[in-house]
Amino acid sequence: MISALIKRRLWLWKNRLIPSIFFYILLPVFIFVIISLPLKNIIRFSLAETPYDIWVLPGLIFIIGSFSLYPLIYREYFELRIHRKVLVNIALTPYSKRYIIFSSLVVAGLEALFMSILGVVFYISFTSISLTISSLIFLLLCLIIYLFLLGNLYITISLIIDALTTMFLGSFMVFILILFGSGFLIEFSFFPIGFESFLKWIPLSIPLQIYHKFNSTGLIDWTSLSLLCICIYLWILMNSIILKRRLYQ
Amino acid sequence: MEASITLKKVGKLIGDKTILAGLSFGIERGSLVAIVGLNDSGKSILLKLLSGYENPNYGQVFVQGLDMEKRRSETRKLIGYVSYENDLDPWLTIKQNIRFNANLYSVNNILFKERLKKYSSALDLEPYLNEYAFRVSGGIQKKAMLLRGLIHDPDILVIDEPTGYMDAESIRQTWDLIKELKGQKSIIYVSNSLTEIEQAHDRILVFHEGRIIMDGHLDKLLESTLDYHQFQVEFENLSDDLYKTLKNIPTIVSPNRMDNIFHFYGRTRTVFFDVIKVASDQMMIDLDVKKLGLRDLLDSEFAGRGLD
Repeated sequence: MISALIKRRLWLWKNRLIPSIFFYILLPVFIFVIISLPLKNIIRFSLAETPYDIWVLPGLIFIIGSFSLYPLIYREYFELRIHRKVLVNIALTPYSKRYIIFSSLVVAGLEALFMSILGVVFYISFTSISLTISSLIFLLLCLIIYLFLLGNLYITISLIIDALTTMFLGSFMVFILILFGSGFLIEFSFFPIGFESFLKWIPLSIPLQIYHKFNSTGLIDWTSLSLLCICIYLWILMNSIILKRRLYQ
Repeated sequence: MEASITLKKVGKLIGDKTILAGLSFGIERGSLVAIVGLNDSGKSILLKLLSGYENPNYGQVFVQGLDMEKRRSETRKLIGYVSYENDLDPWLTIKQNIRFNANLYSVNNILFKERLKKYSSALDLEPYLNEYAFRVSGGIQKKAMLLRGLIHDPDILVIDEPTGYMDAESIRQTWDLIKELKGQKSIIYVSNSLTEIEQAHDRILVFHEGRIIMDGHLDKLLESTLDYHQFQVEFENLSDDLYKTLKNIPTIVSPNRMDNIFHFYGRTRTVFFDVIKVASDQMMIDLDVKKLGLRDLLDSEFAGRGLD
């Protein structure tokens, strides 16, 4: 099933090559120019005295991944469920709902990862920021885990909401959480104390914290990584149940 | 004959409303089964249950002896489903849509090309294969959906309105293909075109309020009505008095009028002469006698109460 979904993504890319390339190249540039450049002049250093543009780089990569992932999941689980019923056709094939969710997460995650890598290449090429190989590999590992978590969140929203306006409102709230409440652009310490600890424990914000911890101490937080993997698995199970119910199957 | 699909006391509820109520029947392998009924009678839901699109609230559906709920992945390979609504991916071409399904069912490239060629030629789809799904007409989309449903060579084909949105030529091509496939595959379809059903079926299931009220070949369904004929006499002026007189002719069944047209049923064609005798001094504009068809069976009081 995964190969069938990958081939379909490639066809969709091929069919809309120019707009796809345009927007995917524009995305990292846009995020850098609109978000990073002005914020750099407001927050010059992180609380650990790291220059802000270096500190924020992984966050920007995560944001690119987040925005690249959204249309893929939205298309599959909202647009093609509500307006076209394509999802039903896929659900009629001989695969379990769990495998369908997992496969689409893998395929969408791969594409978002690819876009994020392009973002890394862009930032490294056009700024003076550099990453060590180990940092880069660990960043991508954390990003994969993050994309699985976020993909699950997008799937849940896309499945439980039927109205377009509600879908947009829900999506905007998630985008605001991603941008400002996940520690990607603004450190948690800027939030009021109680709220800070709440945000820190949101699963979406943990992968980047694990990365920052690895980057500053060289230690890998295996416990958190394992817990996140369990969380992903349980979330896939939950989404497969929701999918089953939404399709009355 | 061996059963292709068997339903055992299958029921479906939507909210508190019973859509299907304890249905039990079997469909023979290789047969062409038509399902007819009024709107909202549950026929599309039945198709959804047969295709695995939805699950029943109670009861079991067996596909070639396999419980559909317990042996999901095996039974799904055996079924091709063509829905009423367009469910093609709009941003893929027709060929890519079909190829995508072939990939999902692990159909190899050789078989894919072979089947694509065979069915696209039968349905005259070749000129449209490289068109985006959203750019072609509804009839072409429907034919593409039929082809897609056949691409993994299922034993059972479930079709909701096989010729929906199609022009006359496409309707002919589609029925030619379906009739060719009959015997090799069990085909179950829902249609509102009674003329098409009369011409293409081994068995008709007449649905009413979630129950099957008639089941069999058209000839069998019309068996009880074989002697009946439908008559229609158009008068220049069908007065109330004349209508009352005609209505009271004892051999006439279910008389009714529409403007100057007097419509009735009769067990023999000679009933016609009884009417002519009574109304011989009236100016008649048009006369029509015909045997009963499926439409009459459904439209008239036959569906439930019979003519009498």
